[in-house]
Order: sequence, then C-alpha cells, then structure tokens
Amino acid sequence: MSDASLAVGSGPATDDVGSVAERLGAARALFGRSLHIRTVDTGSCAVCESEIRLLLAPHYDLQRLGFFFTPSPRHADLLLVTGPAVRAMDVALAKTYTAMPQPKVVVAVGACPLGGIYAEDEVVHGRLENVLPVDVSIPGCPPSPLALLQGLLVAVGRLTEKVGRLGFAADLT
Amino acid sequence: MSEAGARTSRRGTTPGQAVRVMRAGPAAVVDVVRALAGVPGARLADLFGAIEDGGLLLRIVYALDRDGEYVVVEWPLKGREYPPLSDIDPAAFVEECEIYEQFGVRPSGPRLLNRLVVPPHAAHDFPRLGTPPPREGREPHAPHYVSGEAFEFPFGPVRGVALESLYMGLVTSGEEVIDIFLLQWHKHRAIERRLQGLPLEKALFIVERAEGLSAVANAWAFCQAAETIAGTTVPEAAQAARAVALELERLYNHAAALAALCQATGLSVGQAQAEAALEQFLRLNLACFGHRYLFGVITLGGVSRGPDLQALLHLLPPAHDELHRVTAALWSTNSFMDRLEACGVLSLEQVERLALVGPVARASGRGSDTRTDHPYGPYGVIRAADVNVAVEERGDVLARMKVMAAEAEESRRLLMRLAEAGAGEAVTEVRGQAGAALGWCESPRGESLAWLSLDDAGRIERARLRPGSFRNWRAFDDAARSRNVFTDIPIIEASFWLTVAGFAR
Ligand code: SF4
Repeated sequence: MSDASLAVGSGPATDDVGSVAERLGAARALFGRSLHIRTVDTGSCAVCESEIRLLLAPHYDLQRLGFFFTPSPRHADLLLVTGPAVRAMDVALAKTYTAMPQPKVVVAVGACPLGGIYAEDEVVHGRLENVLPVDVSIPGCPPSPLALLQGLLVAVGRLTEKVGRLGFAADLT
Repeated sequence: MSEAGARTSRRGTTPGQAVRVMRAGPAAVVDVVRALAGVPGARLADLFGAIEDGGLLLRIVYALDRDGEYVVVEWPLKGREYPPLSDIDPAAFVEECEIYEQFGVRPSGPRLLNRLVVPPHAAHDFPRLGTPPPREGREPHAPHYVSGEAFEFPFGPVRGVALESLYMGLVTSGEEVIDIFLLQWHKHRAIERRLQGLPLEKALFIVERAEGLSAVANAWAFCQAAETIAGTTVPEAAQAARAVALELERLYNHAAALAALCQATGLSVGQAQAEAALEQFLRLNLACFGHRYLFGVITLGGVSRGPDLQALLHLLPPAHDELHRVTAALWSTNSFMDRLEACGVLSLEQVERLALVGPVARASGRGSDTRTDHPYGPYGVIRAADVNVAVEERGDVLARMKVMAAEAEESRRLLMRLAEAGAGEAVTEVRGQAGAALGWCESPRGESLAWLSLDDAGRIERARLRPGSFRNWRAFDDAARSRNVFTDIPIIEASFWLTVAGFAR
C-alpha cells in the first residue's frame, strides 16, 4: 500500500467501477471483516455529502464491497469528514472521533478539509489536520464517487497497517 | 394535477430593469412597508443591513410578483433600535434576528430575538458584518417540560449517513412531535463577511460554494447583479446556456429529493431507482458542462463554456425517462402515498405569512416563480424559455413531490427547446465599477436573491446572498408540528429539500 496520504486526484473520468471494486475486495479480504463508516460534516456546501450518499447507489453499490455506513461512532472504523473544519463543530467532531474504537482512520473528503476553499481564521480551522490526525485525503471539489472509492481503498490499507501494529488488547488506548 | 397553465410573460424586458429603489426616512418607513405589504401578491423577499457612510442602512426588499417588480426600500438608521417590522409583516422576524446578531441593532419592544448563525462559543471578536450586540440572541430550546409531559429529544448535529450537520430538538411526549427547534450555527462560514473587499471573480468562486446544490442559481443571481451595475448585456446564446445549466440543476435536485424521500419512507427499491436516475443526471451534467454539479459554468458576463448539445439531446431523455418511471411506480404504491398524504401540511395562509418561495410555496397554492414573474436571462424573453408553472393546493408532502415531478417534466421540455434555440459559449466583459444592484434566479428550492454594492475599484462593499433555503427553513417547524410523528420528520425534510449550508452560509 502506498505511503502517500494524498490518495487520488478528482478521479479518472471513466465510469469503470470494476477494477476499483476488485482491488477493494482484495484489501478487505486482507482486513478480514466488514468496514463501518461514519460521516461528519464540518461546514460543507452539501455537494460532498451528495457524492458520499451516491456510493450506496446502484452504480457504485458500496455495500456489496463490504462497506457499511453506521449511525453510531462506536461501530465505526473509518471517519469520513467533509467541510473546512468549522470551529463550531469542534465538540461534535472530537466526541465522534473519541467514541470510535481503535484502530481507526480519518479520511478528509474534498478540497474543503485540505484548506483549498477557506483559509484558517476565527471561523474555520481551514485544514482538518489542524484538529484530527488525517490518514487519507481525497481532493476534488467534489471528489467523484469513484475517487471516493479509491480513497477508501487506500484507507483500508492504512487500517490494515494499524491492525498489524496492534499487540494485545491491553495496548488499545 | 392542477396547473397554472401557460401564463404569458412580459417580453423584451431587460434583466435588472424591474427593480425600483427608494429611500425612506424614519417617519415614512413604517407606512411604506405597510403599503407594500398590502399590495396584492406582494411578499417580503429580503431584509438586510449594510454599513454605509458610517451608519447602518437597512434594505427591505419586496417582491411584487403580480407586477413583475422588486421594490428595494433603503432606510438609514439612527440609534440602536428601530420600529419592529415583524409587527407589520411577520416574514421579517428571522431577518430581524440576523440583523441583531450581525450589527447589534434591534427592533424596539420586549420581543426576544433568537440566535441564528453565530455559534455560542464565539468570542467577542468573531467576524461579523458590524458591531456585536450587547447580549447574544436567545438559544431556541424547549423548556424542560411542556405541560408536564413532553421533553426535548436532542438529535444532531451529527446525524445519519452523509447528512448535513443540523441540530434538531424534537419536543415530544413519546411519539407525536409537539414542537421542533433547529440550530443551524454549526455550518456558519461567515461567507457574506468573507466576500467583503474581494474582486468579483474571486467572490464568485465562494458564492458557488455557499450552497453547492444551488451553485448555478446563486451564481446567476450574483452575476446578474454585477452585470446590472456594469450595464453589461449578456449575449443571447450565453443566456440560453445559463438556462440549460439552471434546468439541469433543477432536474438533478428534484431526483435527489425523490431519492431522499424514498429513503425516509424506507422504500429501498424506489431509493435505488431514484439514485440511478440521479447518477444519470449528474453524468449528463458532466457531459454537457464538464462538472457533475455544474460549478464554474456561470461566469461574469456569460458562461465559461457552452453546453455539449449533442450530449444533452442524447443523454437527457433516458435520464428523465428513468426518473419518470420511478415516479410513476411510486404514485401507484399505496403504502408510499399514504405516508405522504396529510404529512407536513402548510396552508396557503402560512406560506404567505412567512413569504415562502419555490416548490414549497407552489405546493400550497402560491404559484409564484421568478422565471415567469420577474423575467431575467432568457425567461420571459425568448419563447423557448416560457415556463409553465406547476401548482398544487394541498400543501402536504405529496403536493410538494407532485410539484417537483411536474417541474422535472417541464425542465426536460425547456431543455429540449433551449437546445434547439442554440445555447452556446459567449461572454462579454463585466467591468467592475461603483454601484449597487439586485440579482435573482429561480433555484430548485425557490427564488435566490443577491444584492451587490461595489466600490470604485469594483471590489465588494456588501454582498448579500439570500438562497431559497434561507427563506424556507423558517416554515419547517410549522410543517413538522402539523400533527406528525417522529418518523415523519425526515419525510418532511426531504420534501422541503433545503440545505443547511444555504441557511447558515
Ligand atoms: S470540497 Fe467543494 S464540493 Fe466538497 S464541500 Fe467543499 S466546496 Fe463543496
């Protein structure tokens, strides 16, 4: 798995989900269980949300790849964050992140959490990594569902590495 | 289904002409507002402040829908208080709260004002448009019990799968929703404040991202204001290309609303089919304009590129057929229809009292649509862009979905005709110069307004963005209270199809 935390561009112009799906399937087999995703919006324009929701649509069908969205952070392995990390969301974001069990990965979705739309000021942090450890970033305004899928693929790799580093349950913090 | 039919629209109107700006002194303003509010078909479209010549200037915008005119009343304020306009026109209340929050100036009298978008943790130096109020607005929450039985069930700000951040305080005694409180400050990005001092091109980038799901409409309203100031005439081919983008935006939004509605009613088959249609519309956008959500299409003075008409003619019919198939199947699914009927009802009286816009207003019998009432761009100017406005009477979720379905049908018809009329790439230069103007556009969620004041260098002194979402959220609690249970709330939310981003900006 690549070390680059910047996963993909705004994605290839192709509609071909197949190859990504295949690689995702392989990575998931490596990980050995289904993956649960929690989303948090920190001030998006509502379009990144739309693309994330479409991952469940028949064209992409995320669930067939063993990914599930979960309504509870306690079941989540992966946190998808949109928006420029608005300070007003600090508490909610921190609570969501802390409630997630180890190991966990944070994926920044879109140009917003990379500081591409709003610079840091009194209203926004500008970059998500100013508040959370970001494992994978998926640039694009918005990233297409296919780009999101590729980003998830990299994130699964990260998660697998983190599992490998874990020792006994007592090591979990 | 009742339809307002083909209303003949005024032809040959140059955009931006149907605006009257007048100044009113403190003695006259209350009478002026009372007179405007009394005009048949008038609605309060916006109310906002700006610092001008060292003092606060309020602008009251009335839309006289039957006369095709916007009236902007400019009212220079002295002191920290003004006579409450919401006593005359209740539609002004949310804006009064906003002006208090941003400028620290309030309507006189004992009325409590609510917190809108400035978050509770905000320090005194939090960016605002003017000086902060002496005391922040009231946090709208339920008292701990309501008649001894009910409690506030907190939901949010982090909600379901890829939903926007929004806090809903559902006041309930178990099942029925007695009241609902919304907190939307989680998404405030101080966009109007950010726009100050920017040159127009830079500002446009942010304007599109204030509410990405109405990017075309908001950008068009903004550009129209700038073009009016500069006295630019946008070439006809570019006007038609803008309309192509706008109708594509309406189509994908209405498909998305239908998908959300199916999800809210737990109808996964319908949801999958509606999402398949939505994805087809987004790919159509990509093929036509190079962006799935049509960002960057509208530019100052025209469009950045013309639509790929071949792709449009080729991909539009199958995408809309797909949507039509889902809609038809849903209309004959009784269990689905039962959930929508008599759910989230808004009466015409409520719609007019709160001056609502868009499909929400049209579903309750108010047939206003800026594309016919206030001609702009090609609408009401070229025959290919004559719009039939869909109207329903019952004001429930079903009526709103019917309006959206009819509008999608109409958008398809418009797109086919615009393609024949020849929409293409064209731009004229817009020179930034001092001045002020109003721009408007019919977004998928209703009238979107933009007011611009520019300085001598063409930089922004004040940019007011009022997307349709900003007007319509205020009716959400009324709709939610109309004898609904918990599970009706997401259904009502889908039928409004608003964004928190557009409200909180
Ligand atoms: S990255 Fe772009 S599309 Fe995504 S939320 Fe930010 S502005 Fe919107």
